[in-house]
Amino acid sequence: MLMQCAPLSDERVTDRAMRAALHRARKNEQFAIQKSFDRAVATLVHAIPIPQEITDWVPPEAFISRPQRSWRSLAKNPAILATGIAIGVIAVIAVSHVVDRINRFPGEPTARRLLTVASSTHSMMLDPVKTDAGSLGDFFFMKHRLAHYDVPPEFADLRTLGCRVFDDEEGQRVAQVWVVEKRMQFFLFPAERDVKTGGVKHFNGWRFIDQEGWSGVVREENGVCFMASLRGRQRDLAPYVSKGKE
Amino acid sequence: MAEAKQNLLQLYRFCYLMLADTRKAQEVFHATLRDAAQRSAEGESPGDRLWFFRDARWRCLKASEQGLQAEDVDLEQAELTNWAPAQIEKLEPNQLAIWISAAPEPQRTALALFYLDEFDYRELLSLCETKPAELAKLLSDGRHQFQAWLNATMPFVEP
Repeated sequence: MLMQCAPLSDERVTDRAMRAALHRARKNEQFAIQKSFDRAVATLVHAIPIPQEITDWVPPEAFISRPQRSWRSLAKNPAILATGIAIGVIAVIAVSHVVDRINRFPGEPTARRLLTVASSTHSMMLDPVKTDAGSLGDFFFMKHRLAHYDVPPEFADLRTLGCRVFDDEEGQRVAQVWVVEKRMQFFLFPAERDVKTGGVKHFNGWRFIDQEGWSGVVREENGVCFMASLRGRQRDLAPYVSKGKE
Repeated sequence: MAEAKQNLLQLYRFCYLMLADTRKAQEVFHATLRDAAQRSAEGESPGDRLWFFRDARWRCLKASEQGLQAEDVDLEQAELTNWAPAQIEKLEPNQLAIWISAAPEPQRTALALFYLDEFDYRELLSLCETKPAELAKLLSDGRHQFQAWLNATMPFVEP
């Protein structure tokens, strides 16, 4: 069917189906005869003389512009559609990378590792200690010589169930505290340091992280990071942090 | 890439193929351009280049209502031949125009627009206001009927 309407000039073949049909028919003898027939008729049509009155009134170089393609027809073009989707996907990936980079903070790898520890910790692994979390700073200093391992004021009033101090994979001293409220776990660990200068990499405020159904909120102070973690979402931790700001 | 443009003089050739009459073709051509100019002056410029051919087509149909009408008969058809181009070369443009203008609508419009070689397949469908299968049949029948007419009027003689 399409072969019967095949345009004479290749530049008129704008349709994908037509292009495919022409490709299939290129060795068809009957189609070759049709093409030569059509070309001969078209040549005769182009030989139609233009009367002097017309050429006087309309110069031969007078043209009608092609219509501007609407955004709808452009959007329906498969090539443009595919390009648009590809650009969209790249943009989404780029934005997620940027957001990810913005949310990064020194000590994040350790914090993520400790979230894994939190998910696998049983209460029996900790020494039973029933007190306010805020008072454990002195306990860690006196018993384990861990300076500045203080629970921030936002979480200081919460009652504890137990605590322990252990060395993580990198040999850093980590303090872990289990509290009653929402079965939260606190971690106190040394802040990340600059490899060249040995100085602490500081960051301001609270930073949220998520991992496999666990959420944490981290803050650095005096070279020690504090992380409160629980099984749940960031919004479960947000009220504690915002309460601190007030 | 240079912007593809439509030569305005092709509009006259279209009118001529539709009417096979120089005077009538000129009248339709001028009337169409006048209408376009008037619309432009009123701020309603025809944004679609197909507008010119649509407008001219309807003017041609109206103009041809007044003259002799094509009879609705089944014309003889013949297989396209290798020597058809040689037969067509011997024709005068007005003979072709007379043959096309005598075809019934919408075959007349389809043949006139197709052989102008100015439009792609989709534009042809839009201008002829036909479905793809119908356009294919109109063009195919037109070719075979024209071949039969060629065979009858100027039989090919091998040199």
